[in-house]
Amino acid sequence: MKTINIIIDDKPITVPEGTNIFQAALDNGIYIPGLCYHPRLSQFGGCRLCMVEVTERRTGHRFACAHPVSEGMMVKVNTPKVVRYRRSVMEYLLAHHELSCPTCDKSGECGLQDITHELSLAPSRFHAVRMNAPIVRDNPVLELNRNRCVLCGRCVSACKEIEGVGAIDFQKRGIQTYIGTAFDKPLECSFCGSCLSVCPTGSWQDRTFAFRGRAWELKKTQTICPYCAVGCTIILNTKSAPARLEEGMETVRRVTSDDRLGINEGNLCIKGRFGYGFIHAEERIKTPLLRKNGELCPVTWDEALGHVSERFQQIISEHGGRAIAGIGSEKGTNEDNYLFQKFCRSVLGTNTIDNLANMRSPSLNSLIYQSVTYGFTATSLREIEVANTLFFFGADVTEAHPVIGNMARKAVRMNGANLIVANVRRVTFRSAAKNDIRLQYSFGSQVEFIHALIKTILDEKLVDLKRVEQSADNLNELLSGLDNFSGENASQLTGIPPEAMRKAAAVLTKPGHCCIICGKDIEEDPLAEDIIKALMNLCALINAAYNTDTGYGKVSLLFSRSHNNTQGVNDMGVVPGFLPGYIDINDVSHKEKIERVWGTSLSSDIFQKESASIFDCALQGKLRGIYIMGANPVIHYPNGKEVLDALRKIDFLVVQDTFLTETARLANIVLPVVTFAEKEGTFTNMGMTVQRLNRAIQPVGDAKPDWQIICELARRMGSAYSYTSPKDILNEIESIVPIYSGINYDRLKRKEFYWVSSVLGRNKPIKYTFTRIRSKSLDVKRNTGFPLALLTGVSLNHQGAFSQHSKVLRSVAPACHVEINKKDAKEMNIQSGDTVVVESPQKKITLQAKVTDKVPDGVVFVSEDYEWIPVNLLRNGEYTFVKISRETG
Amino acid sequence: MILPLLKGLILTLKRFFNPYAVVTMRYPEERPKLASRFRGLPELQIGKDGRERCIACGLCARVCPSQCIYVEGATDEATQRRYPKIYELDAFRCIFCGFCEEACPVRAVMLRDTFELSTDHSKAIFDKAQLMDYSRKRNITI
Repeated sequence: MKTINIIIDDKPITVPEGTNIFQAALDNGIYIPGLCYHPRLSQFGGCRLCMVEVTERRTGHRFACAHPVSEGMMVKVNTPKVVRYRRSVMEYLLAHHELSCPTCDKSGECGLQDITHELSLAPSRFHAVRMNAPIVRDNPVLELNRNRCVLCGRCVSACKEIEGVGAIDFQKRGIQTYIGTAFDKPLECSFCGSCLSVCPTGSWQDRTFAFRGRAWELKKTQTICPYCAVGCTIILNTKSAPARLEEGMETVRRVTSDDRLGINEGNLCIKGRFGYGFIHAEERIKTPLLRKNGELCPVTWDEALGHVSERFQQIISEHGGRAIAGIGSEKGTNEDNYLFQKFCRSVLGTNTIDNLANMRSPSLNSLIYQSVTYGFTATSLREIEVANTLFFFGADVTEAHPVIGNMARKAVRMNGANLIVANVRRVTFRSAAKNDIRLQYSFGSQVEFIHALIKTILDEKLVDLKRVEQSADNLNELLSGLDNFSGENASQLTGIPPEAMRKAAAVLTKPGHCCIICGKDIEEDPLAEDIIKALMNLCALINAAYNTDTGYGKVSLLFSRSHNNTQGVNDMGVVPGFLPGYIDINDVSHKEKIERVWGTSLSSDIFQKESASIFDCALQGKLRGIYIMGANPVIHYPNGKEVLDALRKIDFLVVQDTFLTETARLANIVLPVVTFAEKEGTFTNMGMTVQRLNRAIQPVGDAKPDWQIICELARRMGSAYSYTSPKDILNEIESIVPIYSGINYDRLKRKEFYWVSSVLGRNKPIKYTFTRIRSKSLDVKRNTGFPLALLTGVSLNHQGAFSQHSKVLRSVAPACHVEINKKDAKEMNIQSGDTVVVESPQKKITLQAKVTDKVPDGVVFVSEDYEWIPVNLLRNGEYTFVKISRETG
Repeated sequence: MILPLLKGLILTLKRFFNPYAVVTMRYPEERPKLASRFRGLPELQIGKDGRERCIACGLCARVCPSQCIYVEGATDEATQRRYPKIYELDAFRCIFCGFCEEACPVRAVMLRDTFELSTDHSKAIFDKAQLMDYSRKRNITI
């Protein structure tokens, strides 16, 4: 890129061409006052404060934010004339300003306040009337005080460009201009809080903060968000109160973000920014609970741990270690999960361990690891931002990973990226992409859809088959598999017209970087394995055609993960099939190394994989005890009834959790653990980036971090671990887990660790072999009694127990809806807001109906993230069919 | 040599018998007359609406050199206004410097003439109600 040399205030500076003076100064530590310019937003030029004097080349007074640099330019920031101008602009801005700094929450971090101080402004010469517009409080999250607004337009751009919503804009004109929604309706948006984070004054206010601290009183701790798998960096703002007060020592008062930190570049979603209420929720378990006479009673740690170790030892001596199973946590840190599987495998002597993500999509781990070895997997989420083509396959990013949506919009804005969204439902994703292709395939036809794409690419000769043959094996297998698969055939099966398919194929094979995001709908489909294999064929096909000798493809695949550490729990080997780092459990050569590091000898039956799932084993009576760490299978396992039966059948259930979840209520003993704000460790996000947590507050109540509990249990059961902090555990992980080798706990403080890059740096990607996928007969058998297919998915506003106990999220999204197509609704005479009964052969639940055209006819959609709605009781693990009727009486 | 001594003694005796030059007083039967700018306990003033004038801006806590003030703001549900949910003053730490009064943007903290503050450790912390009581007894609203 061409660079340009300029001089600002006698300081020589080199910046890329096209930079404006403001950004150039900002990057080089020179301060120019300004309110409307924001590096992440398009230039607006509304506040008129950033006036500078250019003395060489294009001389004159210029607005720094609107003027690009040119070679040899000389800029003076503070000449007397400029300062005089700036002061008068500020005087105008402050003429109507409310000047309510003592009660304004922005005070102390307010742009307007800072510039007033900087220019040492005296009381205004104008005797203007202070504005007295009513404060808009039409939602539980954000508050708009127009009296403080300087009309810089940052919130308008942020809402439009970053979040793609455009819920707010300038209303009216001239002196009457104000920020607001169209027709002054209540704010209807995703409540991401971007407007709040970019506002230079106190116009937008966080209602969850609500005067509970001052900017200068808050201690800021950078950590990682505990909700979805994007792994945004959030900043916990804590304030300490005297210990004598009820408020306790130190509490989290709000969550902010920093544009310069983390992969999210300051973007957050509603959960990350406003869903911190659970940390200090009253429902948190504060002491260990032991079941005595059928009731869970508070006990001391000593008694609780003594009881657990005693019962475990009793089970081991009577039935062997294999009679105990363990379920790891998708929310826990890598260290907690590593220690959990180590404890289960070495101390309890069982390999019946698993996590809920692996139970929901059992083939996914090996497929992801395969795609890493082929070099398809994205090395980090940043690849979305640099992509030229984005393909969301079965992924509803707006709901599941909102910040990925922001990254995608950035790609569209900066690189003019093309967009393909393929889903069963008509998912919402707002963008300004030039090529914006929406494909809605019919329920259960994902394999055919991918095959149709491959077929179209081959038919249209969009890739050079000779090059494909060179870079991947077995092309004939792929070709012959698609022989009797024609375009008409495909469009009949998938419901997508051939022209749309051709357009999508053309966009996919365009030169440039392509990023495919494979969604939860695909991963948790009963046919997931076939679909993902077909998708990998597609990747290899596009990849090979553009492959250069470097071995790096132009396609990168990203697999959606649901929770903050779903990737990590699988990396750490809390699965029956793999030791930490995806080493096959039957790989005996690795056993020696593990035994040496762990200092124990593992019994040989550890290395036998149990074919049935944990709950099957329990139902068959093979299990006596289950140890659950931070998971709620009663709600999150796709077959709720099976879990309930299984957990009732076993003798001893230990649950380690922050809240008394439905699973914990069944437990014999509940151990309280801390939340992310109270512990250290690392999380691995869905881009395989390992990031470090920092402790912001003291543990609430008697709660302890998971790893300490496991260490204590291990000590009581006769094999003491010598860890004193998560750092020691990560050091052991570094030495034993190949994919994490090179990770360093201290370095993580400054820079995240990308394990895909480190694996690819050590081993070259292996040559891809095409596989032939025979489409299985579709399992979509619609029963006459139950005509509608049930689709479950994620929700923007909720995820698990954390959001359930966050009051703000509950007030934004109080009720779970069942989304019904307009046509179906008309037939059943159901209107939006009606209370309906959703009934499957297993169970029926009552929900509110929402009539929409998002879902196709014959399909209903229910979010499974509302913890208090047991949707999984309807399901039986396969495609589920339901019937819907209006509630009577 | 003896003369200066006598001079001194005369002055002493003069003072000794002069009823108008008494420095000590019979406290507590006799009350001291305090200067108008005397700085006693920082009291929370009461507004016209009968509530605390304080808006919990936290400037007093910030400016306090001995860090004896703790303010916790909150939203008043009825009026949506900012008010101090907790306002505490550690009387053992307070040095009566009057910075809080000076910093207060709404004249909610005033150091008036309350100086009889002897208390034990358990009562050293004055909460909002106590600090307002002093003002309430004075029956002044601002």
